[in-house]
Amino acid sequence: MDLTAFLDGFALVTEPANLLYCLVGVLIGMLIGVLPGLGPAATIAILLPITYTIDPVSAIIMLAGIYYGAQYGGTITSVLLRLPGEASSVVTVFDGFALAKQGRAGTALGISAVGSFVGATVSIVGLTLLAPLVAEWALDFGPPEYAALALLGVLLVASIGNGGMVKAMISAAIGLLLATIGRDSFSGAERFTFDSLQLSDGIDFVIVAMGLFGVGEILYNLEERHGKPHVPAAVANVWPSRKELKESSGSIGRGSLIGFVLGVLPGGGAVMASLAAYATEKRISKHPERFGRGALQGVAAPETANNAAATSSFIPLLTIGIPANASMAMLFGALLILGISPGPQLVDENPDLFWGVINSMYIGNLILLVLSIPLVGIFVRVLRVRPAILAPITALITILGVYTINNSTFDIFVMIAFGVVGYLMKKLGFEPGPMVLAFVLGSIVESSVRRSLLIFDGDPTGFITRPISGTLLAVFVVVALWPAVRLLRGRRAARSAAAEPAAPTPTRGKADHR
Amino acid sequence: MRHHTTRLAALLGGSALALAACDGVSTSTGGSDETAEYPSGSVEMLVGASAGGSSDLISRAVSQGLSDALGASFPVINREGANGAIAAAEVAAAEPDGSTIAIQNASLFAITPLAVSEDEVTSIDDFDVVHGVSRDDYVMVTTAGGPYADLDAVKAATGTVTYGTTGVGTGAQVSCALLLGSAGVEGEAVPFDGGAPALTAVLGGQVDTACLQVGEAVENIESGKLVPLTVFSPERIEYLPDVPTAQEQGLDVEVAQYRFLTVPKGTPDDVVDRLVEGLQATFETEEYQAFNEQNSLTPMEIPGDEVVTQLEEDKQRYAELVEEYGIDLGGDS
Repeated sequence: MDLTAFLDGFALVTEPANLLYCLVGVLIGMLIGVLPGLGPAATIAILLPITYTIDPVSAIIMLAGIYYGAQYGGTITSVLLRLPGEASSVVTVFDGFALAKQGRAGTALGISAVGSFVGATVSIVGLTLLAPLVAEWALDFGPPEYAALALLGVLLVASIGNGGMVKAMISAAIGLLLATIGRDSFSGAERFTFDSLQLSDGIDFVIVAMGLFGVGEILYNLEERHGKPHVPAAVANVWPSRKELKESSGSIGRGSLIGFVLGVLPGGGAVMASLAAYATEKRISKHPERFGRGALQGVAAPETANNAAATSSFIPLLTIGIPANASMAMLFGALLILGISPGPQLVDENPDLFWGVINSMYIGNLILLVLSIPLVGIFVRVLRVRPAILAPITALITILGVYTINNSTFDIFVMIAFGVVGYLMKKLGFEPGPMVLAFVLGSIVESSVRRSLLIFDGDPTGFITRPISGTLLAVFVVVALWPAVRLLRGRRAARSAAAEPAAPTPTRGKADHR
Repeated sequence: MRHHTTRLAALLGGSALALAACDGVSTSTGGSDETAEYPSGSVEMLVGASAGGSSDLISRAVSQGLSDALGASFPVINREGANGAIAAAEVAAAEPDGSTIAIQNASLFAITPLAVSEDEVTSIDDFDVVHGVSRDDYVMVTTAGGPYADLDAVKAATGTVTYGTTGVGTGAQVSCALLLGSAGVEGEAVPFDGGAPALTAVLGGQVDTACLQVGEAVENIESGKLVPLTVFSPERIEYLPDVPTAQEQGLDVEVAQYRFLTVPKGTPDDVVDRLVEGLQATFETEEYQAFNEQNSLTPMEIPGDEVVTQLEEDKQRYAELVEEYGIDLGGDS
């Protein structure tokens, strides 16, 4: 790392104009993050023409701010309205919404803001020091490694559920089936599309999530609250107490690491990170039964991890010129328009841009944390609104959000259909979480396995002989067999009347997220 | 997963453009009795791809140029899906009055039909082609220090050569498949979801080679991480002057992606003429030319009827070659 260039970058960022662009960027990002559907990629597309006229470094600082600012905003609807706008916020809903119902929405949002700040900052430090090294590592991650990682993810999905394992597995299996809808990306064959072009690219994640979580919840509440007088949820503590912060500090630390490492992987990195962080917390917790019923760690860990992942996804873009997700692709396009080609030479050719952008993120995240404090207080008031008013507004937000994805009314009807499914699931005691997450991971598993087999020329032993995928599969086997092992050990312990507890050890937790 | 883009986005962008274009409107129609001159309102410009890809960026660059030249707003609306077939269907069904236009990709008409079933084929007969825009060439690359140092090494390969593509039924797949087919080498296509993952795979040595669009690969070629084996254009391209074409290396393979402006069939001639006028003004601006260069695009500013002729030729040629080498674009082979 070139220290002078690094410091020059800081000097550049602290110029008043750049600070202003940074503020504008993160503020816009945070606001659009609140509305599900309208994502950072689209926002960057809208603002692209404006950037022609300003200095490239300022432009990229602003656009990057929109991207990571949106990660902060996304939490708010997940916690307050049960509307996860991004796949990486789905696990936040489990405990976040439960906390909100207990009147602890402020605590949940506060802890997310702190976690997001810490996670992002840890990730930026990692980005500053290790970017080229980590980028090389990401290249070793080929289709077989993705296949093994996503498979592990599906297993974790089944285990994080709150209700019965069987119900979680049924729900996940349906999610995997839903992922097969659309044109087969290997053979071009149509699968479950019923000759509809609208379905040829499958169903968008947001449509499924909005339907199952958002609309499903609204329908359920209509029935539940019918006739009951409205009791506004008490919004007691708007900011987490010192004790609560201390309680979550471990989760935030682990979430940061998991997020940084997995975020480097293009495609699905942030989802896997939030999932792995949540599963890790649940496994090492002394009270796993609290998860899904309002465990603070269940919000802190995934929110930290997805912000850390969002930040480290800059690494492939800035060091090898590979956009890791749709928003990064927009930034890639923006850089090209500004006359800068992202790639291996960026750090040498445009050190001011490289370091300017990275250093602006330190400041941007600080701004976001400061902004969060008053905003959390305002947003939690949403919960005081009567359901008769809040429900239609929520419905409107979901419909608007889904429509904006593809400008398609068809998608709205698909979402409503999923809403009915979500309602029925809730009535029957199924959780939508495993279904949504399996839906996201299913397409990764399928395409990665098929891609791997093409590369291996049909020989599946390649999955085991490659070091990273082999290790991941070993972890998979351990995690899958663990309940059985614990059961056996428990029996033996009971027989020998020894009081040895069979709780999983922290070292196992670490193995989970490698 | 599909990417997120919005009509709201387009509307906001459009209104910004409309504000910027107010001057143009007043000067071109001010005082004239020709009130009905095209464009009288905003013109929707559909793109069959997500925001951020080259199709989207090209549409946005042209949209900017058209609104400057013709004095109306041309909001870009992303209607992603099915290689662009969804946007195409919408344009074909739109009112043929110039209020809906789209820059479309040659691959949808010349290559996708080889990979999908009969009733999903989009036909160019449903459109009037206004004008050609630009060409996006393909380059075959391998990782530096990989098993194949140059094209001769590939030609001499005895085992199966794996190649990453940007998806089934894309020009990237056809170019690699035809090249290996004509060299008599066994190839295995590994489709990825777009250029970025395919680039990652070849950089990491997950696949032996990959066919990519020049703009996607050029940075890593310049830094020496990727070795260009060949380009598929009729002559060498400006952005990679040292890379020989496939034809120079004795393989008669020529594949290109090009884009052109289309309107629904039956759009009046005066509307088409105005659009041609606007396009030509756009092509002459410095911003647009710099945009092409930045994105490694070669201008292909030819009249609409020539585009149609070339499309028909290409479609015929690809179909014959695919048949000749027994390539199944859709299948797993």
